[in-house]
Amino acid sequence: MKDLIKDIESRFKTSDYIQKLDHLAFITVEKEQAISLVTYLRDYRKYAGLTLLTAVDWLEDGVFQLTYLLNNPTDYTEIGVRVMIDRDNATMESSHHLWENMMTYQRELREMFGIDFPGSPRIEEDFILEGWDNMPPYRRDFDTKKYAEETYFPRPGRESNDPATYMKSKMYPND
Amino acid sequence: MNIKDVLSPFTAWKRVARDPVTVKDPFNDRPGADRYRGFHKNDVEACIGCGTCEDICENEAIDLVPFKDPISGDSGLRPSIDYGRCCWCALCVDVCTTNSLTLSNEYTWVATDPDEFIFTPGVDKKDWDENEKGWKKPEGNYEFYGLKRVEMEHLHPEERSDSFIEMVKGYSKEQAQKEADRCVECGICTATCPAHMGIPEYIKAIRNDDIEEGLRVLYETNPLPEICGRICTHKCESVCSIGHKGDPLSIRWLKRYIADQVPSDKYKDILDTNEIENNDKKIAIIGAGPSGLTAAHYLVKMGYSVTIFEQFEAAGGMMRYGIPEYRLPYESIDKDINYILSLGVDIKYNTRIGADITLDQLGKDFDAVFSGTGLHLGRSTGIPGSDNEHVYYSTDYLRKITAGEEIEVAESIVVIGGGNVAMDITRSLARMQKVKYGKANIIATSLEKEDVMPADREEVVEAREEGAIINPGWAPQSIEIKDGVPTGLHVVECNSLFDETGRFNPQCSMDVKEFWPGVQIIESIGQGMDLSYISEEFKENMAFSPRGRVETNDYFQTGVKWFFMGGDIIEGPDVIHGIANGHKAAIGIDNFIQGIDFKAAK
Repeated sequence: MKDLIKDIESRFKTSDYIQKLDHLAFITVEKEQAISLVTYLRDYRKYAGLTLLTAVDWLEDGVFQLTYLLNNPTDYTEIGVRVMIDRDNATMESSHHLWENMMTYQRELREMFGIDFPGSPRIEEDFILEGWDNMPPYRRDFDTKKYAEETYFPRPGRESNDPATYMKSKMYPND
Repeated sequence: MNIKDVLSPFTAWKRVARDPVTVKDPFNDRPGADRYRGFHKNDVEACIGCGTCEDICENEAIDLVPFKDPISGDSGLRPSIDYGRCCWCALCVDVCTTNSLTLSNEYTWVATDPDEFIFTPGVDKKDWDENEKGWKKPEGNYEFYGLKRVEMEHLHPEERSDSFIEMVKGYSKEQAQKEADRCVECGICTATCPAHMGIPEYIKAIRNDDIEEGLRVLYETNPLPEICGRICTHKCESVCSIGHKGDPLSIRWLKRYIADQVPSDKYKDILDTNEIENNDKKIAIIGAGPSGLTAAHYLVKMGYSVTIFEQFEAAGGMMRYGIPEYRLPYESIDKDINYILSLGVDIKYNTRIGADITLDQLGKDFDAVFSGTGLHLGRSTGIPGSDNEHVYYSTDYLRKITAGEEIEVAESIVVIGGGNVAMDITRSLARMQKVKYGKANIIATSLEKEDVMPADREEVVEAREEGAIINPGWAPQSIEIKDGVPTGLHVVECNSLFDETGRFNPQCSMDVKEFWPGVQIIESIGQGMDLSYISEEFKENMAFSPRGRVETNDYFQTGVKWFFMGGDIIEGPDVIHGIANGHKAAIGIDNFIQGIDFKAAK
């Protein structure tokens, strides 16, 4: 894959190349060149398969990381194209025209992370969180535990005990 | 309609001869993968109910429900799972402090009642309880909390073996916060601490770098944190949930860290004790040891006028006169005590009850009296030669070292005893030998074998590092005396201490003998109480157990209503029990004076 990476590096503004496994590499590309790179990989370098599109919330750095994971069905290698986008303006160019199933990933990311892909078909429809009225739940500042407490409790028949308080009540109630 | 729409349905016929991709037989098992995350299993005997699983669960799927009565180190609670909420992430398994919680690879189970999907794994029996497959936390690889404690720096043996400089250096802020970060805040330790200190709360304060809050938490239950932070027997650490997989938290050193950070002149501001409203009631306290000082602290904060009567010229009791300076420097003792005295506690030094003032008189002059006179009398083995003038009690010797009195330090010494006091005198004398003769020549022995010696392990290790010989598992037989001076100790091998009924009944191999030369012998086999200040007439109104121990109620009130007793005489012996007793006795005295029924009192 080294030749491929050299080729990519000569054509696009990239950084942080990591050869994770013999058949799996990651490379980070500037946002404005990301779809061009993905298109180049699909049309000229045989990475015709879209394995997935996913995101990571780097809360402390104020960015979302998108990863376009593409596979080459002829030599079974995979390349992950990483793109950092501003967390406060979480918008990315849509690539639904490259793969039909891309629109589904983009819908998912919009719902779970709040990353928008303007122009992507059905992007504003609910994906799995029907009727969700809160912060996108995969954002790391979403407090899952608090949400669960507020939304699902009290549930009849459930009751918990704090170990220290329970031990006090049983072992030394007068102290 | 075009022709394609008509023909399309028939294209399916081209697959008619292929193998189906669906499962042929839905009636056979389709087990999950070997590491599949299915229904939970819990080894309820290994689980301690620490609740870390409940805390980490982002979906609030876990409750802690009663399983059995709690005991020290086990809350008696066990996790119950609500499978309406569980997302099978297995964080609960990965964080489990005892590795008792795992997931089976069973993922199918049918029940018609939704409430059946809330159950307590291991307690409510399920078909998959014996299923060995499923998710277990991988060994090594990753941990959610540090398993190794932040090492405490000590003076090297060569630096400390000829001096009484404090050997434990204390944590830096960075070290303390790193160590505090290992705490999972389960609170299992709180019940085991005799004073029930808010351990997770003060460790959290360290983590938040809020030392003032830490000090406030300490003083809720313990007014001697500098002292306890150094020499507490730290029973809390023996039950620390992290100790099941790794090193228990250094709870004692973290306590010391908080107290060490706060200068004396800030205490009153932080603890809000600049002004205390006084009532007109007076309390006398006999003995300025841990229990007496603690009772004084809490009583004076309640508004009582407190007077301590102390037989020696300085306060602290065994903390000052029993524990060597290299473990507990005098300035640390003074810092804790001076703060208590600064609250308005009056102290009369060199005053002995019974000799200078009678107990009855105290009863008349004060509204209540608390006595924490401790165990100061040495005990003798009574073996032949033990009545020689060069045979000493460790308690007397340790007190004399503190008082700076001239004491005999022989070139060769034998110590009889394997407890912490024996290690204290051994290590103190080894230091003095090093100064006087250039090398230590001291041997300490105990009836107990090394694995069951009563002394803390670190004491034994450090004594050896400092040049003392610790040789446990021997029974002293006689002290050889020549020309009025001991020449050594005869011992035989001791194989066991207790018989089948649990009675103290040492069994020795009389033919396995040794003779250890020593011109000075120290006996350190326990301490006794001196109750000579209580008259026989007074004692008639008190209750004693058949073995002669003073009996008190839960608030340390004796048979004489205004007379409370606590500390080593009643419980322990150690500092933290004294603190716990003193605190509770203060509450008891307050209740007594206010006429509150004790059984109803909280």
